[in-house]
Amino acid sequence: MATTNAQIILGSDITDSVLGVDNTTQLNTAGTTTGVNTMTSVTKVLSSTNQVDLIATGSVSTTHAYVYINNPSTDETKYFIITIGNEGAGSPTDTEEIGRLYAGDFMFFPWDVDDDICITPSTSDDMTVEYMVFS
Amino acid sequence: MATNAQLILTSGDIAGDPVNVDTGQITLTKAGTLNDLDQSTGLSRVHLRSTTNKVLLAANAEGDNLAAKVYVINKSTDSALYVTVTINAQTIGKLYGGDFMFIPWSQTDTSASIEVAATNWTSSTGDIPVEYALFHEDTDFLTNA
Repeated sequence: MATTNAQIILGSDITDSVLGVDNTTQLNTAGTTTGVNTMTSVTKVLSSTNQVDLIATGSVSTTHAYVYINNPSTDETKYFIITIGNEGAGSPTDTEEIGRLYAGDFMFFPWDVDDDICITPSTSDDMTVEYMVFS
Repeated sequence: MATNAQLILTSGDIAGDPVNVDTGQITLTKAGTLNDLDQSTGLSRVHLRSTTNKVLLAANAEGDNLAAKVYVINKSTDSALYVTVTINAQTIGKLYGGDFMFIPWSQTDTSASIEVAATNWTSSTGDIPVEYALFHEDTDFLTNA
């Protein structure tokens, strides 16, 4: 058992009363207080606008994982489309678009490891994506 | 007006060397620009007691190709109680007690609502408190008001 913590800090002055969120959670195996004990950390450079598998279900041996994905680009016009589902299984695919990671954006979410996580770069220029999986 | 987000991942023992990932404070911007997101639901709280999906955030097709960020946290202190999060019937994952998520949200169509279910709730477990916030750009979100 390992101890891995995730902390999110959000601050916003969009509304009249400032929003401030600061929460920390320990990343545990499903439904327990036992910490996850496996980590994958990858950096990839993608050079096509094709949708590809980023994280395949076969790479994780559990049914509950935590995923962090980061777009380290500094060009605000370049983004990744992040989808979940089976790439290429439908017409054109049966993936569901979660969202777009613009330059500097990150996402962090629990993953039920039922379907692959896919990615589509917005340009065929070299684009770097970083991700980590905790399970 | 600005909204900042920061994620810090740390572990002293999941690998041979310490893990310390800190995104730093990023400013949430409109799609493809350096302009700040300027609309928000603020922080909201609901108490879930439904084992079937309920709409947490209704998708607005006007939001397609625009930027939106969603924060959701399961505030239960029971590590076994979880909330299943889905988009368009596609399960994303389960938020166990204390877990949070922060994701960009493409509202590709009105089917892309973010739904939650207290999947293993029973009358004896107690409600599952869920807090959430949406930060977005210029769409009409009156359906969420």
